[in-house]
Amino acid sequence: MTRFLPALFGLIVLSLWELLVRELHVPKFVLPPPSLILDALVANFPSLLAALWETLKLTLAAFAVSFLGGLALAILFVQSRLIERSLLPYAVVLQVTPIVAIAPLIVIWVGVEHVERAVLILATIVAFFPILSNATFGLRSVDPGLADLFRLYRATPWQRLTLLQLPSALPALLAGARISAGLALIGTVVAEFVAGSGEATGLAWRIVESGNRLEIPRMFAALLLLSLTGLALNATIAWIERRLLRHWGAA
Amino acid sequence: MLRLEGIAKTYPNGFRAIDRVDLAIGEGSFTSIVGPSGCGKSTLLRLVAGLAEPSDGTISGRPQGGVGLVFQDPTLMPWATVAANVYLPLRLTRVSRTDAQPRIDEALTLVGLREFAESYPRELSGGMRMRVAIARAIVTKPHLLLMDEPFAALDEITRNKLNDDLLTLWRDRGFTTIFVTHSVFESVYLSTDIAIMTPQPGRIFSRHPVAGPRVRDADFRASATYLDACHAVSRDLERAMAAAA
Repeated sequence: MTRFLPALFGLIVLSLWELLVRELHVPKFVLPPPSLILDALVANFPSLLAALWETLKLTLAAFAVSFLGGLALAILFVQSRLIERSLLPYAVVLQVTPIVAIAPLIVIWVGVEHVERAVLILATIVAFFPILSNATFGLRSVDPGLADLFRLYRATPWQRLTLLQLPSALPALLAGARISAGLALIGTVVAEFVAGSGEATGLAWRIVESGNRLEIPRMFAALLLLSLTGLALNATIAWIERRLLRHWGAA
Repeated sequence: MLRLEGIAKTYPNGFRAIDRVDLAIGEGSFTSIVGPSGCGKSTLLRLVAGLAEPSDGTISGRPQGGVGLVFQDPTLMPWATVAANVYLPLRLTRVSRTDAQPRIDEALTLVGLREFAESYPRELSGGMRMRVAIARAIVTKPHLLLMDEPFAALDEITRNKLNDDLLTLWRDRGFTTIFVTHSVFESVYLSTDIAIMTPQPGRIFSRHPVAGPRVRDADFRASATYLDACHAVSRDLERAMAAAA
């Protein structure tokens, strides 16, 4: 029963929304009723889907780069405290600098004709840190008893990494991946906003465009697609997490 | 003969965990080290295993053929099957899975878990997980088995069963066992030899050979030998604590 509560709540809110907007004669360029948003979604579906696909491609690319890069750097960190001490402050600097502020610089560097590269770099900067910090934590969260066994049987550093540290890091790494995937989407959309121009083909620019034309129902339709994409990304990683960690539990 | 001579261990923070421990452990014996928590028993075991270096003294006569180690927790890899967990020591010493398979089967049969080879640790009870840890420790056929309070977290029935199974293993395989425990009864039931340790810093207070038969069962628990030994070890343990206080 309780699992249907969110759907029920949503339905009530949507009905109230529809009812109030109609009864109070709210202009549709301020707040369109849900029915109109649905119409806009259907009418603009091909163009919105194409835009979503552009955004999604960059999101997945940024996530992949963050995941592999963050994990690789975390492995380096765990091998050597010296490297971690030297590099970690810069990772933190990247993390705390608002991407909106560095976007213009990145666009200049990659050239205005390659906006998608700027978006990829900016989204990667946003999505990178959760992977790095979670992977570093995970690689260090090795059972001390198991670590002793690996020493007792004279395991090589490679054996320790592949047979002990990486599997031990999996739960933390996947938790980081879930955060990172969400941030990659947010980062991509924000970067499209600040780096994009009429050339940009992602969803963010469809939103800007709809706003400029006062096509608010279409704007809401684009927003709806974005939210659904975020949910889908989250659900996918949650599913992978359940699959990979199904044997975990106390051991 | 495994010999510890003048062994001391001081940690970098200045804490002296063990001070001047001399201990000779006969080949094939079952020696229990009994003492209160924090008396350096575990540290001593780590030194014998070679996982830590003594600050002073020497350890000689470590048997060829390796060391097996069992901790208080089973410390299994949750992501690996029982068979893969038992395979670990062989895998780390580069034995192929095919070559290892008969040895894995044998070790699992010895601890009575042959049919659980493809299970995962979380599907097993606490006692069964401990059996897996023992199978993993003996899969390399070590000549020295080190156990650090392995059954402390188990209920008494499971613990008694595992004690009997361990004794059978020890008789069949003939390895030397050093068994750390804080239970007087467990140590007397299992051992051919008992060393009592006092805390801060850890020292050997006294030693007690246990005269009982090698095959032990419920009758042994009721025998005068067992009761006398329990009595003597308890009394010495109390004296050791009083001396340390």
